[in-house]
Amino acid sequence: MKKHVFICLLMVFSSLGVFAQTSKVSGTVSDKDGVPLPGVTIVVKGTTDGTVSDVDGNFSLSTEKDKVLQISFVGMQTKNVTVADDSDLTIVLLEDMIGIGEVVAIGYGTRKKESLTSAISNIQSDEILTTTNSSLAQALQGKVSGLQIRQNTGEPGSFDTRINIRGFGTPLYVIDGVAREGGSGFQKINPEDIESISVLKDAAAAIYGLRAANGVIIVTTKKGKQGKTKFNYHGVFGIQSPTDVPEMATAAQYVEMVNRARVFSGLGPAYTDEEVANYQNGAPGYEGTNWYDETFKDQAFQQQHNFSAQGGNESLTFFTSMGYVEDNGLLKSDDLGYKKYTFRSNVSAQLTKNLKADIQIAGRYDKKESPAESFFMIFKATRTGDPTAKPYANGNPQYPSQLMPSNQNPVAMSDRDLVGYNERVNKNFQSTLVLTYDVPFVEGLSLTGRYSYDSNSGMGKRLGKAYKLYDYDADTEEYTGYEQFAPTKISNSWNDYSLVNFQTQISYDKSFKEMHNVSATVVYEQQSTFERWASIQREYDFYTNDQIDQGSLNNQQTSGNERERGSRSIIGRFNYDYKGKYLVEYAFRYDGSYRYHPDYRWGFFPVVTAGWRVSEESFFQDAVPVISNLKLRGSWGIVGQDAGDPFQYVEGFGTSGGGGYEFENGVYQTGASAPSIVNPALTWFESQITDFGFDLGMWNNALSFEFDVYQRYREGLLAKRNVSLPNTFGGELPEENLNSDRVRGFDLALGYRNNVGEFYYEISGNYNYARTNKEYVERGPFTSSWDYWKNGRENRFDDIVWGQTVIGQFQNEDEVVFAPIQSGDGNLKELPGDYIYQDTNGDGLVNGNDMLPQFYNGTPKQYYGLTLAAQWKGFDITALFQGSGKYTVRFREVYASMFAFRGNTPAYFYDSWNQNEDGTWNEGEWPANRYNTDVGALYAESEVWRKDASYFRLKTVDIGYTFRNHSWMKTIGVENMRIYANGHNLITWTDDFVKPFDPEKIEGAYSAGLTYPLTRSFNMGVNITF
Amino acid sequence: MKIYKLLYTAVLGLTLFGCSDVLDLKPTDKLSGEDLFSDPEGVKLYMANLYYQLPVEDFTYFHRNRDGGTFNYNGGGPNNGGFVQAMHTDIAMHSEFGEGVSSNSWGSWWNEGYKLIRDVNTLIKVIPDLDINDQNRKLLIGETAFIRAYAYFALAKRYGGVPLIDEAQEYSTDVENLKVPRSTEKETWDFVMTECQLAADNLLEGDGSQRRATKYAALALKSRAALHAASLAKFWNKSPVTGEAVDKGLVGMSESAASEFYQQCIDASEAIMQSEVFELFRPNPASPEEAAENYRQLFENPNGAPQEAIFIKGSAIIGNDHTANNYEIWFNPNQLANGWPHPGRYCPTAEWADMFEVYDTPGVSTKLSTVVDGNEEYEGYDPDREYIKYDTPHDVYKGKDARLWGTAILPGTIWKNTEIVIQAGFIKPDGSTKFLQGGSTTVNGVKYYTYGSSSASGHSGFNPAGGNHTRTGIGFKKFLNEPVDVNPAWNQGTLDFMDMRYAEILLNYAEAVAESGLGDQTLAKKVLNDIRKRAGHTTEVDLTSENILRERTVELCFENKRFYDLIRRRDFHELFNVRDRHAILPILDLREDPPKYVMVRDVVPRSDPKTFEPKWYYRPIPGRGANGLVNNPLY
Repeated sequence: MKKHVFICLLMVFSSLGVFAQTSKVSGTVSDKDGVPLPGVTIVVKGTTDGTVSDVDGNFSLSTEKDKVLQISFVGMQTKNVTVADDSDLTIVLLEDMIGIGEVVAIGYGTRKKESLTSAISNIQSDEILTTTNSSLAQALQGKVSGLQIRQNTGEPGSFDTRINIRGFGTPLYVIDGVAREGGSGFQKINPEDIESISVLKDAAAAIYGLRAANGVIIVTTKKGKQGKTKFNYHGVFGIQSPTDVPEMATAAQYVEMVNRARVFSGLGPAYTDEEVANYQNGAPGYEGTNWYDETFKDQAFQQQHNFSAQGGNESLTFFTSMGYVEDNGLLKSDDLGYKKYTFRSNVSAQLTKNLKADIQIAGRYDKKESPAESFFMIFKATRTGDPTAKPYANGNPQYPSQLMPSNQNPVAMSDRDLVGYNERVNKNFQSTLVLTYDVPFVEGLSLTGRYSYDSNSGMGKRLGKAYKLYDYDADTEEYTGYEQFAPTKISNSWNDYSLVNFQTQISYDKSFKEMHNVSATVVYEQQSTFERWASIQREYDFYTNDQIDQGSLNNQQTSGNERERGSRSIIGRFNYDYKGKYLVEYAFRYDGSYRYHPDYRWGFFPVVTAGWRVSEESFFQDAVPVISNLKLRGSWGIVGQDAGDPFQYVEGFGTSGGGGYEFENGVYQTGASAPSIVNPALTWFESQITDFGFDLGMWNNALSFEFDVYQRYREGLLAKRNVSLPNTFGGELPEENLNSDRVRGFDLALGYRNNVGEFYYEISGNYNYARTNKEYVERGPFTSSWDYWKNGRENRFDDIVWGQTVIGQFQNEDEVVFAPIQSGDGNLKELPGDYIYQDTNGDGLVNGNDMLPQFYNGTPKQYYGLTLAAQWKGFDITALFQGSGKYTVRFREVYASMFAFRGNTPAYFYDSWNQNEDGTWNEGEWPANRYNTDVGALYAESEVWRKDASYFRLKTVDIGYTFRNHSWMKTIGVENMRIYANGHNLITWTDDFVKPFDPEKIEGAYSAGLTYPLTRSFNMGVNITF
Repeated sequence: MKIYKLLYTAVLGLTLFGCSDVLDLKPTDKLSGEDLFSDPEGVKLYMANLYYQLPVEDFTYFHRNRDGGTFNYNGGGPNNGGFVQAMHTDIAMHSEFGEGVSSNSWGSWWNEGYKLIRDVNTLIKVIPDLDINDQNRKLLIGETAFIRAYAYFALAKRYGGVPLIDEAQEYSTDVENLKVPRSTEKETWDFVMTECQLAADNLLEGDGSQRRATKYAALALKSRAALHAASLAKFWNKSPVTGEAVDKGLVGMSESAASEFYQQCIDASEAIMQSEVFELFRPNPASPEEAAENYRQLFENPNGAPQEAIFIKGSAIIGNDHTANNYEIWFNPNQLANGWPHPGRYCPTAEWADMFEVYDTPGVSTKLSTVVDGNEEYEGYDPDREYIKYDTPHDVYKGKDARLWGTAILPGTIWKNTEIVIQAGFIKPDGSTKFLQGGSTTVNGVKYYTYGSSSASGHSGFNPAGGNHTRTGIGFKKFLNEPVDVNPAWNQGTLDFMDMRYAEILLNYAEAVAESGLGDQTLAKKVLNDIRKRAGHTTEVDLTSENILRERTVELCFENKRFYDLIRRRDFHELFNVRDRHAILPILDLREDPPKYVMVRDVVPRSDPKTFEPKWYYRPIPGRGANGLVNNPLY
């Protein structure tokens, strides 16, 4: 109402303006996509003259020539335009980089971004959706400062990407107000359903109590909006291929290398010169086999489809969506893949004037299928398989061939019809009812009740079939089959999980005299979960079909168990600010957990934060006008984290954990274990988190800069007081809260957004660096200063690896003989070309005592991301670079020893030292090819094998064109349509040795590097709103 | 009105969830002491865990230290590479790795030992208070004493004298009070003897299943431990060490103690022999072939030989629980891998095969005859040497003691209905040779492969690919189950292990009598020859140390006894002084038509000589920072 009066007055003034030397100015205001912006304030600078744009973004006013118009809108960069003659202005406002006015979820409430006093990062749906991947984690990587994300594997349906806030550990995930998902559930959320994700990086996490010391990730899903119903379809198709796969030796290289190795082993060459020549020339029958190519496709297909509708009226709004994701594996057999169906319906109903109900329901069904052989084993077989062998005996596809070493034929292993299959189905249901009552007689007071019920059930099925691999005897023309994995086995497993969460919340939010802003929230929360699982297995005497009832009754196996958990909590938060300039907040959680002794189960976790918006001070605005926003803030608080197994306070004999015994033939007796010494006082860890930071905006918030330094000091880490207890006592002391550590780091985010005419561009980057220092480490006394230097952990970084120092390669036999003893074999096995290790302590013997601290471990210490985005007319492009640094990878087995498992070996080992028949040596990059029983200290930890894996990669490029306001679109009822193409994991810069393994990926089981390759994808998509 | 509705809802909600406190949950896996011990079945539940921890050197014993412990290693990560302790002696090799005598030959068993001792002491403490009859109380006293004796024996043979803790210590922060110094080695062995006798005096004959302590199991343990202690006393000076531990008597015993322990061995053994509860399994075979099969079956199913088995440790898979082992997957020959990637790891050596008597020349180890001139002291093929030509690759073993045939898979013999092909190469008609490498040659239209078949899956010897083929020329079957093919997966072998059997008692007796001059010489000679008779021998040999030790090595081979025989008699450092172990290579001689086999002695391919350092006769004492104990010499 007030606004209308104001506009009328303005109109009156402007009509009066004719009498002064005025010129009439009119124009339209829109955002960069050409969408008109109503309600934009246009003021003649230095005056109170001004107007507001109408619903179509149009405005007009009269002012004098050369005056400056200031055009501003909440959340947009303010613009100044000088009035010229006959101005008909087209004004485009860009969103500001600070996010003024943006609403951020902070746990049990929301806050405007400019009022935040703690380190909370926020990311909106459109920024998430620039990446196409079946995992939500990939869509966040590199985009949020302080959020450390590392992909472990590219396997479809594998949602185990490592997510870590600031180097703290696995965070707590809160979805629509309830801590309800683990990391993999979070990664399965349909990104299209997400409105925003906010990350509590500092002690603000304290309101989540004793599960939140590693930070909290809060997901808010989309809600309905009043207005005409908008339908959206988004479809994307893509192909994926490995970023890289290390090359194994070809048959020609292999036979030569085997001959070399056999000579050093004291055996004669395995292949004659003629055979070697045949392999090198690829003579008929000597072509060799590339097992990877035989087993894997060059590329796999993926697709995603999402359909949503959003709309509503004053009494009812809704958002509903359905999604489908299909992610196929790289196996040629097409037997590895993942499918996911999601559904979400968020409905808000204004039941009465003051009572509102939100009903949120989400469902998910997903299924992962793979051959019964694990990917690890299949991939390993492509690495170690003899390249001179063939996939099929006599080339007959009916008869997969025997293959050395170890009888593993990857072509056969990847075929589910032959070896059986693995299937994992997960069904997930989440529901929440929220009732909000705005108490009518107390302004600003509201009551909220929230009730959630979730159910998750998993079903696993595995059929492991016995199969045969064959030899063909050309003389007798007979195939001989060798049984593999008899008998055939089938197993089913189930787990069922329910969660019930109940919250009542009282909130009060009011401004007094437009200066004192007060708000308070008190919540009671309680949560219970119940879990039950079971599995059954049978064997077949004779395989009929893949149903458990068809299996034999002998050798059945069953298992099962149940687990309950419970917690109750009281949460409070109190805010005060003075004119939005001086902000303070106090919050706490009083948290109780079933895990601990009743006397020790309640914990109190407070947090205090404060901020000063310097830029709101008039003296500052006058003094430094270029700075449009400056906020200093700090936070301190205590957060908890559950430690150890539950019920450690309960004394008694254990019915699990004791060994069993066969007192009677065929009857296994489970055993009871002796009571351990219990520690009733066992409790959670406590983290003190301190954070100081500032938010800076310049040039009307076209540039933003956020910086935080932080420290987390953690006390009460579990350790056994095993120091002083003699090891003849025979019992172990219980775990106690003894150790402590400290993480220190900083993160920063920088962004800039501007336009040149119709060309809009944006650059933003983030960086995080953190390291962990052990503070107190419980252990026995050091026996010597050397012992302390070597084995001490206290007050040291926890991320250092010790290794030998390589000082060169032996150039000839004499050097080997006169060198310090390199290994237990007394240099008998060292050859020219082998690495010379430094005898650091000069005792003539190289062993563990000569190692020095010289490498980072496998956990990155720094993470960085850089986003470049631009838009011109309908075209848009986004490029995301991402990387991490200060860590190493160290492979073992196939990739880091020659002829591991006595099978094929990486091609790089071909370039090795080798000996001529006359005993002279030819130099090569690597030491001489040998079997692992014929080497001395070759594979000792050193720079040769442990490599810096720091990388920087072009993670995503996304290019699109958006159709808007075309007449044909009106005809078919389309509001707008974007077509786009994008790519993922496109270019990587890293160490040359590491690159084929993909530096981002972890080494995986046995450090063998045999996890599923990370994939590069190219996708085409369309996004239509109608 | 509406506010009431809301409040009503809220209150209802609170009542619903508040009435049972969500925090008062109970663990599903804990039990009070009264509940457990008030019923014999509960006692059995606790006993199961004690027996599980018993340091029985069975198929799940892993001599090296690793995560999950020395015993029951399959309870943790079961992948131990297929190594067994015999590969640290002269009688076996590993097919792939240069496993050999080293400081790694026997791992420590200390913390686990004192845990077992604490666990059994916990039960001993409550025995007087249990509401059970006196007979059952006596049995419990005997059974716990047996377990404790077993544990201290395992400690004593590794460490010498150890702290003797005979009651469960109460935890207190005053850790000085918890420290117990080492007793002397003599006191420790005496304690083992006393505990064994306490067990024997309280226990009964048992129900015949032999899976729990019985009077005779206790006596058998005493027989074994006493022989070990006696040998240490007698032979300790063959490899003397010096140091504080020696000065204080913590390791080492005077030679005079020997006869005392030999006498205890004789008494305990005699008690078993005179009970007439036990006899040798199928003592009178009609032929060596029958003897070989009898011997094999004894180990395939010890439950079928209750007359010989004195103490059995069972292996089972029931549901998801197991005490099963991995012998079947590691050790079946490569041709029967059934998908398992690493079979064929146990390779008995040529010197082991040489050790056996042949029936024609009793009383001596007779080397396998490979060359015409009878000089078997050579290594490697020599074209100028005249080799004996055999029709089959196992004819060289003809006439050898039945137990060789019952223990080993010999080249070209049948195992699980499959002819096991073990061949190391061939000599072409022109006299040129191809040994130990892939390849083939065609003679008279027939194609011959060096390893005996075209693909590596079709043979079980010498092919270095995969490390899955025997590299001594001999395969292993003693503890494998012929009729049963287990799943090619971890922990599927359920063959039961005879930890103590009558034959060992007879051999203990014979050795104690022969070494000490005590006891009944005639009886000792008789029982020694009883064992040989069971193996198909018809002529008797004299009671000499040499005869007894040979008999012990062949009769008890691969039962994890050889290593301790070399330790207790201080023979290890003499036997392993830059020592190679040997293979016997079956070579197809294509100069003959039809082709014949020659057998070539050689050092095991890809192996190194090994040396035993005298300090390894004892293990170092772990955790001295906290227990304050004196370490063993030279550590």
